[in-house]
Amino acid sequence: MDIATLLKTMQDPMGIPFYPVVFQFLMVLTFALHIMFVNFTLGASFFALYGHIKGTGYWKQLSYSMARAVPVNVSMAMLLGVAPLLFVQVIYDPFWYASNLLSAAWVIGFILFMMIAYGFSYVFYLGRKKKSDGYLFFGAVSFGLFLLSGVVMHVLGYQLLQPEKWLGWFVRGGSVDASGMTLHSFQISRFAHFLVPSIAMGGIFMMLYAWYFRDRADMDKKYIEWMSTKGGQLAFAFTAIQALVGFWWLLSLPMEFNFFTNPFFLTATLLGIGLLALLYMAQKEPMKYTIPAAAGAFVTIFAMSYSREALRMTYLGKLGYSMFNYKMNMDLGSTALFISTFLMGLVIISYLLAVAYRSGRISGEYTATPIMERWGKISIGLLLAWIVVVAGLGIITTVKNYL
Amino acid sequence: MYPIWEVPSLTPGIVLALIATFHILPSHLSTSAMWFNVYVETKAYRENRPELLEFIKKYSLMILIFSYVFGSLSGVGIWYAATVASPRGISGLIHNYVWGWATEWVFFIIEVTGIFIYYYTLGKVDRKTHLKIGWIFAIAAWTTMIVIVGILAFMLSPGRWTATGRFFDGFFNQTYWPQLLMRTGLMFSIAATYAIVIATRLKNEEVRRFVTRSASVWGIAGLTIGGLLFFFYQKTLPESARTLISLLSTPGLKAGMLGSLGLMILYFIFAGMRPLAVRLVPAILAVFVLFTGIWSIERTREMIRKPYVIPEYMYSNQIIAKDIPSKKVAAETSIINEKGILNIYPFTPQGLRSLNEANMQEAGRLIALIECSSCHALNRKGLRPLPQMIKRLGIDANTPRQEGISTIDGILSGLGGYPYMPPFVGTDAEKKALAAYLYSISQGI
Repeated sequence: MDIATLLKTMQDPMGIPFYPVVFQFLMVLTFALHIMFVNFTLGASFFALYGHIKGTGYWKQLSYSMARAVPVNVSMAMLLGVAPLLFVQVIYDPFWYASNLLSAAWVIGFILFMMIAYGFSYVFYLGRKKKSDGYLFFGAVSFGLFLLSGVVMHVLGYQLLQPEKWLGWFVRGGSVDASGMTLHSFQISRFAHFLVPSIAMGGIFMMLYAWYFRDRADMDKKYIEWMSTKGGQLAFAFTAIQALVGFWWLLSLPMEFNFFTNPFFLTATLLGIGLLALLYMAQKEPMKYTIPAAAGAFVTIFAMSYSREALRMTYLGKLGYSMFNYKMNMDLGSTALFISTFLMGLVIISYLLAVAYRSGRISGEYTATPIMERWGKISIGLLLAWIVVVAGLGIITTVKNYL
Repeated sequence: MYPIWEVPSLTPGIVLALIATFHILPSHLSTSAMWFNVYVETKAYRENRPELLEFIKKYSLMILIFSYVFGSLSGVGIWYAATVASPRGISGLIHNYVWGWATEWVFFIIEVTGIFIYYYTLGKVDRKTHLKIGWIFAIAAWTTMIVIVGILAFMLSPGRWTATGRFFDGFFNQTYWPQLLMRTGLMFSIAATYAIVIATRLKNEEVRRFVTRSASVWGIAGLTIGGLLFFFYQKTLPESARTLISLLSTPGLKAGMLGSLGLMILYFIFAGMRPLAVRLVPAILAVFVLFTGIWSIERTREMIRKPYVIPEYMYSNQIIAKDIPSKKVAAETSIINEKGILNIYPFTPQGLRSLNEANMQEAGRLIALIECSSCHALNRKGLRPLPQMIKRLGIDANTPRQEGISTIDGILSGLGGYPYMPPFVGTDAEKKALAAYLYSISQGI
C-alpha cells in the first residue's frame, strides 16, 4: 500500500461533523492562544528563577512577582491547550495518534512532569513568603520540567510530520518495539524557535504586569517603571534574536518546500518585522506602548501559528494527504450547539474578566456600576436559558425515541 | 490502526483507569463545591455573619488548587492516556462528539476564570457582584456535567445513534437522565464531604458548627437522592449490561458501592449531631470512603461495556465490530478474516506479512499485542495475565506442544461466544500463530 492510501485509510471512518476548514481555523486560533500562555509561563518561570539567583534589588522583587504569575499562566495554558488538542485529533488523527503511540511512555510522562512542575511552582511561590532564602531547588526543578514538557510536545509535533519513518521507529531488528520509551525525532532549530520567544513574551508579560498595576497606590512606582522598561528591553532583544533563529529554522527546512515563498510564511515574517519595529519604538516609553506591543505580539503569534499549519500541510501534502478531503458526516445540530455556546461564553467570560480588571486596578473595594450589574444578570440568565434549551431538546429527543 | 503501547504487568487500560480514578476526586468537587459556597455566602450576607467568610476563603482555595490545578491536569491526563491506550476508541468518540467536548470546553473556561476571580476578589468587590460570580461558576460547573454525562452515557448505551448516527440520539439515550440525576444528587454529598474537611481547619467554633451541620444535611439529602436514582439507573441499563453485572461484578465492587453508601450516611448523621467532634483525619478518611463508592460505580460502568469500547460499534481491541450505515462505516471483521490481521495492520514488520514456521512466534506476539494487549498483560504477573489464563485451561509443561496449541486454537475459535470477549479475527494460520505464541508463554510457570 502506498503511503497516501495508507494515511487515508487511517482516518477515522466516522468522518467529521462539519467543514474541515472550520476545525482547522479553530485549531490554529486556540493553538495561538495556548502557545502565548505557554510562552508567558516559561518566560515568567525563567525570570522568577533568574531574579531569585541574582537576589538583589528589583530583580528580587521581580522574582516574587513572576513566581506569583506562573501558576495562573500555567492554568491558562492548560485550559487553552485542551482545544487544539481536541481539534488536532479531528483533522490530523492518523498523525497525532501514530506519533503519540510511538513515544507513549513519554506522553504519560508529560502529565507527571506537568503535575510536579506545577506543584513545585506553587511551593516556590508560597514558600518564599515565609523564608526568603532556599526554595531555589523548587523553582529550578519546576522550570526544568516545564522545559522538558515542551520537549515532549515538540517531539510529538515533529514526529507526526514524518510518516515515512514511523515503521522504522516501531520495528527494531524485525520485531516490534511496543515500549514507547523513545523520543525519535528532535529538530533543534524548530525547538529554539519556540524557546526564544518565551523570553521575549516574558518581557511582554512584564510590560503588561507593570501597565496593569501602574495606578495602584499600594505599589512601588519606581519598581513598576523599572519592570516596564526591563520588559521592553528583553522583548525587543529576544524578538531580534528570534528573527535570526527564524532564518536558521527556515534554512533547515527541506529545500524543495520553497517555504520562503509561502504566503502564510511571508505574512508572518512581515508581521514579525513590524513587531520588532514597534518594540524598538517602545524603548523610550514602554508603558505607553504596552497594549500595542502585546496586541502586535499576539497577531504575530497567530500568523506564525498559521504559518506552522501551512508548513504541516506542505509536509503532509508531499505525501498526498490533505485534511480538506476528510470525509464529512454533517451534523448541524451539534455544530449549532457549539457555536451558540461559544458566543454565549464570550459574553460571560468578558463579564468575569471585566470584574477582575476593574477591581484589580484599585486598592479598595470595587462597587459595580449599573451596567456591570446588568451584565452580570444577563450572564446568569444566559446560563439558565442554555440549560432550559438543552434540557428541552433532551426531553423532546427522549420522548421521540423512547415513549 | 496504530502502533501499540505495551505496559508490562499493567495494561495501558489500567494506566488510563488510574489517572481517571484520581481525577474523580477533584472533578466531582469542582462541579458541586460552589453550590455549597454560594449557600454559605448568601447566609453570611443575609444574616450578617461575616465570620462565615473564613470558610469561603479556605474552601475556594481548595477548589482552586485541588480541582483546577490537579483536576485540570489529570483531566488532560485522561485524554492523553486514552490516546495511548485506545487511539481508535477515543478517535471514534471525538469524531462523533467533538462539538460536545468543544461545548464543555467553553464552560471549562468560564469555570477556570470564574474560580480565580471568585477567590481573588473576595472582599475586594461588592457582595452582590461576588455572589454573581459564585452563581456563574456554580451553574457553569454543573453544565459541564450535563455535557459530559451525555458522552459517558453514549459510551454505555448508544441508543438510537446506531440507526440514525445523530449526535443527540446518542447523547440523550436511555441511561442519560438517570445518570445525570444520580450524579447531580451525589455531587451534593461530595461537596459536603469536602466542606467538613475544611470545617475541621476553622478557628471559629460557631462557623465550624454551622458548616458541618449544613454539610451533614446536604450529605444525607444528596446520598438519599443519588442512592435511589442509582436503582432507577440500573433498571435502564441495556439487557447485555445487566447480564454482565451479574457475571462480572465482584463482591468487592458491590460492597464498595453499598458499604460506602451506608458508612457515609452514618458519618453524616454523626457529623450533624456532634459537629465539633469531627477531626481532620476522619474527615479525610470519609473522602476516601466516598471515593471507594464512586470508584466502584465507575469501574462497574467500564466493565459492563465489554466486549466493546464503544457499544454496538467498536470492540475493546479497537476493531470495528458492526456496520453503522448512517455514517457509511463498515465492520472490519470480515475483511480481516479474509485478508489476515497482519496484512491489514499497517505497522507489521516486512518479515511477518506471510507466515511460516520460522516467524510464527514473532507473528503470534504481534497478533497478541494487537488483539489482546489492551486488556491482558502478556507477562506472567499483571492484569488478567495471558500465561496464567492459559495455564488455567490445564495446559502446562507436560502438555505436548501440538496438543496445547490445538486446545488454545479451539478456545480462540469460540471466543465470540463469551459475552464479554471480542471474537478472534484473522486467518486460520494467524489463529494458529497466536495459539503457538500463547502456548509458549504459558510454559515454565
